[in-house]
Amino acid sequence: MNTLMRRALTPLAVLLLAACGAENSGADSAGPPEPSSRTLAATLTAEDALGTSGAVMNNAGLADVLAGVGPYTVFAPGNAAFTAAGADFADAAMKAQAAALMRAHIVPGVLTRGDIEAALTKAADGKVQMRTMADGLLTFTREGTAVVVTAEDGAQARLTGDEMLAQNGVVQPVDGLLVKATAPAD
Amino acid sequence: MHKIIPTAAALALALSLPQVAAAQDQGRGHDKDRGHKEKSRHDNGERHAEGNGNRDRGPDRADGRIRNPAPAVREAMRDQMARRSGAEREDRRDDRRASRENEGRVALSVGDTPVAFFRLEPNRGLIDGCPPGLARRDNGCLPPGQAKKIAQSRYDYLWRSRDTDSRYRYEDGYLYRMDGRGSLLGYLPVLGGALAPGAVWPTQYSYQPVPEYFSSYYRLNDGMDYRYADGALFGLDPRTQQIGQIAALLTGQSWNVGQAMPAGYDVYNVPYQYRDRYVDTAQSQYRYSDGYVYQVDPTTRLVQAAIQLLT
Repeated sequence: MNTLMRRALTPLAVLLLAACGAENSGADSAGPPEPSSRTLAATLTAEDALGTSGAVMNNAGLADVLAGVGPYTVFAPGNAAFTAAGADFADAAMKAQAAALMRAHIVPGVLTRGDIEAALTKAADGKVQMRTMADGLLTFTREGTAVVVTAEDGAQARLTGDEMLAQNGVVQPVDGLLVKATAPAD
Repeated sequence: MHKIIPTAAALALALSLPQVAAAQDQGRGHDKDRGHKEKSRHDNGERHAEGNGNRDRGPDRADGRIRNPAPAVREAMRDQMARRSGAEREDRRDDRRASRENEGRVALSVGDTPVAFFRLEPNRGLIDGCPPGLARRDNGCLPPGQAKKIAQSRYDYLWRSRDTDSRYRYEDGYLYRMDGRGSLLGYLPVLGGALAPGAVWPTQYSYQPVPEYFSSYYRLNDGMDYRYADGALFGLDPRTQQIGQIAALLTGQSWNVGQAMPAGYDVYNVPYQYRDRYVDTAQSQYRYSDGYVYQVDPTTRLVQAAIQLLT
């Protein structure tokens, strides 16, 4: 009888633990996430896989912003994403373009992966939005186990790799640029 | 420590602001505001501000277009900053009062201090007229050849989100707003272009003085002359007017106590150090934007309070 009870209750216990885990992610977590002592600017420049994002940040003149009080969350495209875009936003002749691009990848505040997941779990329609520093909206959805970020112009990327909790925000690596390149009109 | 500053009358601030209002009117100013301090303390710090606040951006950010703000205003702000330096961390329920004299003009105050001045119009600080070097040309500001050249910019898509009803073309540090026939409607110096570190502030470009709260929050106290324009805080050499740094980016969005929170804040984003204090519950949500944490009713999505985060 006891064995039967244990077998019956085990799945329930697992479900309860899973539910607790979901509840404790992000905003509902018991303790605040522990950031590193590095700033966002230092994090971007120190991570090899995000080196181009760091270079673009410097080119844009935003190093002080991302080394400052903040906080911000930077959706940092990996190096391969910049290569695929076919434009050198780290070029000295592209400072304004670099600044416009970076603004489209920065949102206010601290968004951990857990925060995004928790918000998606609660969202009735399965999507949540955040405002960028370029005055655009990023929409987050789930695709299988991945979190997909879609910009208003249709540019899409996935959260990838591990998030980096900086002292003044979060770096969330993404696998694509959140601005869609289009040919000049007329 | 919670310091709650509910709103009450606004007369004190209104009286304190004529210089600000005058300065704003030089540009496309905006209006006076009001509000006053009435400090009280509540155990749980959950007192909700009354009234209506408005804080907006620079890009709707518009601009308050204050050219050469009155020195007295700047001095007053510095004095207030000095008084606050070294103060303990405190969160303050900010009692916002916005008033409108004219459509599109909004002012905001916290206590007796002007906080921010913004214009609520879609052109976001465009300078009407001809850009430097083109003022004496025929055919308006841009001769046909020049218009065509600007139209061919490869990276215009980067500024697409500014205004879907207009065409924007980037060239040589400026964003040009065009109509459907390629005629120039206005222009705007852009971040990283004419508004890049090392550049001298464009003389025709108006700005707003950095509100005192932002100076405190972003710790702008190193002797630079700080200006607010197009969603960013710029630090300038006060002697040469050269941009020394971009100090912060701001969304500039409007959060008004008693009104719906802006779109785009679905995810909990409170800074690390405030997460133990401002936890989402069934009764209240907390969201961060531009140096403030806002308390929001999860059901109605109405902003219940604006909380300053000062260290």
